[in-house]
Amino acid sequence: MYADILCSETPATKLRMQRAEGLVRVALHRKAGATRVRELLQSGCTKLRLPTKLVSQASQEAILINTAGGLTGGDRIETEILAVNGSDAIVTTQACERIYRSTGDMATVATRLTVEENARLAWLPQETILFNEGRLARTLDVQLHANAELLAVEAVLFGRKAMNEAVRCGSFHDRWRIRRDGKLVFADDVRLEGNIAEKLARPCFFGNQMAMATLLLIGDDTEQLLQPVREAIDDLGGATAFEGKLVARMTAPDSLVLRRHLEPALAILMRGRTLPKVWQI
Amino acid sequence: MTDQRSLLRLMSWLSPAFPVGAFAYSHGIERAIHDGLIRDRATLADWIRDLLEAGSAWNDAVLLAESWRDAAVGGDGAAVAELALAMATTRERHMETTLQGAAFGEAAAAWGGDSNSPLPYPVAVGVMAARQSVALEPAVIAYLHAFASNLIQAAVRLVPLGQRDGVAVLAGLESTILERAGRAASSTLDDLGSAAFRSDIMSMQHETQYSRVFRS
Repeated sequence: MYADILCSETPATKLRMQRAEGLVRVALHRKAGATRVRELLQSGCTKLRLPTKLVSQASQEAILINTAGGLTGGDRIETEILAVNGSDAIVTTQACERIYRSTGDMATVATRLTVEENARLAWLPQETILFNEGRLARTLDVQLHANAELLAVEAVLFGRKAMNEAVRCGSFHDRWRIRRDGKLVFADDVRLEGNIAEKLARPCFFGNQMAMATLLLIGDDTEQLLQPVREAIDDLGGATAFEGKLVARMTAPDSLVLRRHLEPALAILMRGRTLPKVWQI
Repeated sequence: MTDQRSLLRLMSWLSPAFPVGAFAYSHGIERAIHDGLIRDRATLADWIRDLLEAGSAWNDAVLLAESWRDAAVGGDGAAVAELALAMATTRERHMETTLQGAAFGEAAAAWGGDSNSPLPYPVAVGVMAARQSVALEPAVIAYLHAFASNLIQAAVRLVPLGQRDGVAVLAGLESTILERAGRAASSTLDDLGSAAFRSDIMSMQHETQYSRVFRS
């Protein structure tokens, strides 16, 4: 149905180039009333930084850094986070992840989170920016204990409006699979392929908006947060709560408008913890 | 089984008269109409086509196909059912697929076969079709046709549109339904994917819509 003439799925020339790879594997646990890093493995182009805490708090913030400064076809970033019993971890990224033009292969971003009993994990990466002809396959796989809490956000910008960098073609696939007590409780596949500009324009898809976000909270009493989250999101999107989860989706004309509503929504979903500095407008 | 008997069964199971209560659900289009996103024949046709091409109707088709294949080799569709429920992004979508699926299972018991615990709607249809020797692709065609015509009926009431406009939209969706059903019949779960972000938002916003006729 769509005019994909200019958006070939298999480019004719394929060059084998040096690829960026990064792996961070971290375990956080609770020690003397605070959350601390128990094990850390980092290799390739990704690093983890732990900001010093100014005030004593139970949670620990961790910041992922991609030293390659962006991803293109064939690049692969893997992140594994384990929040051990009773820990309270907040993970974000130092910068927006940039997905540059690919000559064919997908850039792969795979995130695996495990949240044990009475532990909390907030997965709050900054926005991903997909540039023209960028190709991204992203997965988020989460295992939650029945008494664990997860807050997750993924925000995507299709091009940068202010820089006059529109996305015409590309490929974006974001797959979430969240299990609680072994049972699949949330599954989501957002997929945009081919003529992205034409698809973004469609009222049923993105209604000409180029910024979007999905928020998910899984834990106890999520319904109580529904009304305040709806007020924060306002007419940019919607929120729903059922079966122990709160899901919100929003679209915006640009990243600034998105942030103006995303930041207060996240602040509510943090339930008393402070949002990482990079998320504060 | 003969093609004629398969056709007859699909006409019964996916008929608006089959007691699944489909008429009560608008799949969020009541909100889209309220907001003026659907306002005439053309905008209605675009909206439904998008759901079939890359939205919830496409995902339902993929889930139906997976459950059909599972039941064809003796499975009970439980794993696909878990996935289908997890993919119901909003409270009202979850209600739609749960209640229609359960009602379908109860009503379809008239055709005999093993009793099953309630399944989400596309999974219930896929399992039933496989167990009753109805081929996969015609089953997806009938399911997608029922999905489209149910939304058209909702829009005819709400926009409002004439019945002739509604029928014209359905006629215009024929090629899309056939093409999608053909693809779904050879799909795997890796083909799941939706771009219909604002359709999901409409379903969320429908929860707080002040004046509403439909349950979703």
